[in-house]
Amino acid sequence: MSCEELREHYDLYSLGIAEEPERSEIRAHLDRGCEVCVPGVRRALETALLIGTGAPPAQPSSQLRRRILASVGVERRRLNWIAVWPMAAAIAVLSLLLLFVAQDRTRYVDEALRARPALGILFAPGTVEASFGRPQAQPPRGTVFVNPSQGVLLIASNLFPTPSGKIYEMWLIPKGAKPTPAGLFQSYRNGQALHVRPGAVDVASTAAVAVTVENLAGADQPTTTPLILAPLAGRTP
Amino acid sequence: MLPLLMAVYASPEERALIARLQRRDPQALAELYDQYGKMAYSLVLRVVRDNAIAEDLVQETFLRVWNRVHSIDAEKGSLGPWLLAIARNRAIDYLRSSAGRERKAVELDEADHASLYGEMEAGILISDQARRVKVAMEKLAPNYRTVMELAYFEGLSQTEMAVRMGQPLGTVKTWVRAALQSLRDELGVAVSS
Repeated sequence: MSCEELREHYDLYSLGIAEEPERSEIRAHLDRGCEVCVPGVRRALETALLIGTGAPPAQPSSQLRRRILASVGVERRRLNWIAVWPMAAAIAVLSLLLLFVAQDRTRYVDEALRARPALGILFAPGTVEASFGRPQAQPPRGTVFVNPSQGVLLIASNLFPTPSGKIYEMWLIPKGAKPTPAGLFQSYRNGQALHVRPGAVDVASTAAVAVTVENLAGADQPTTTPLILAPLAGRTP
Repeated sequence: MLPLLMAVYASPEERALIARLQRRDPQALAELYDQYGKMAYSLVLRVVRDNAIAEDLVQETFLRVWNRVHSIDAEKGSLGPWLLAIARNRAIDYLRSSAGRERKAVELDEADHASLYGEMEAGILISDQARRVKVAMEKLAPNYRTVMELAYFEGLSQTEMAVRMGQPLGTVKTWVRAALQSLRDELGVAVSS
């Protein structure tokens, strides 16, 4: 198709709603650096981008900046009590949850209520759980809890921090379909890890929960063999 | 919108910031977050409507920028548009995957076509054009504004919009075309020309 024919589709393309064959045609023009379509799509993208700046202003938590910087190695040597407190609290909650999982689901309810949304998953009706790693010699071990409306909680031990430049990525593996990313996380030095992927999950159509090591930005599909594979098949609430 | 826009300042040092990111200077990532973190979070939160998920996705966005910053040309660069495009793509992908819809709804792979964003006007996010787009969106008829928001903030195809809105597909396509035309008219330029 000619650039002239594609021109009226630039906006739809920039919004992500162009249809075939125009979508593929525009992509092909962009791939070959078309001197008409590249600036045309860029202008359309600018407008689409500016629509996004109309989102209501919102303030992320102060921990987000620290999380992002820590994930690339910034400020690890500058820990003070203010910085240490959230980590210590997280470790305490993690320890609590590990104990909680190993022993009794109800005993530590009051304390563990602070561990939302992890506890939301643990206690929501319909949560199923699956263990992983038990037959292995030096395995990452633990349990995943999957709730249809609350999300997925992974609790693991023997999952030691990744090498520099790497990060753990959790996956939901649907039956007969490609894995879908379920968030990036790091483990603690002692090998313990807790990761929550909030949001609805179709438990019946999920075959397994897996964890791989990926580059820091994460991946769209697993690029390494899963360290953790917790099958959900046959698990029912 | 102004406070949100003012959270971003397209500084003349942006090229230097890109170069520092490409040299793997972690402090440059801190500066990048200070410039664009709030805007990215606001955009992602508008899409996913969940604070915790929004923060996870913003973290993934900044890590992706950190990992792929070499695809931006430091001499022409403007990081903000690219970063926001990544943030939107991640959020839309999350929405679609959590709803069991096909992933990768967003047309442009921001890594393959990073130059499209990197070569945008450095001050685009705080330009007068940004204010004009905001005004133009507010002036749209409610159904026109709805289809634009469903497309941009929820990544819905026109077919999906028709189902969501309980309208015939042809009607939705007409609304989308009319909304885009209204935006062009309000902006006084041919958006796609």
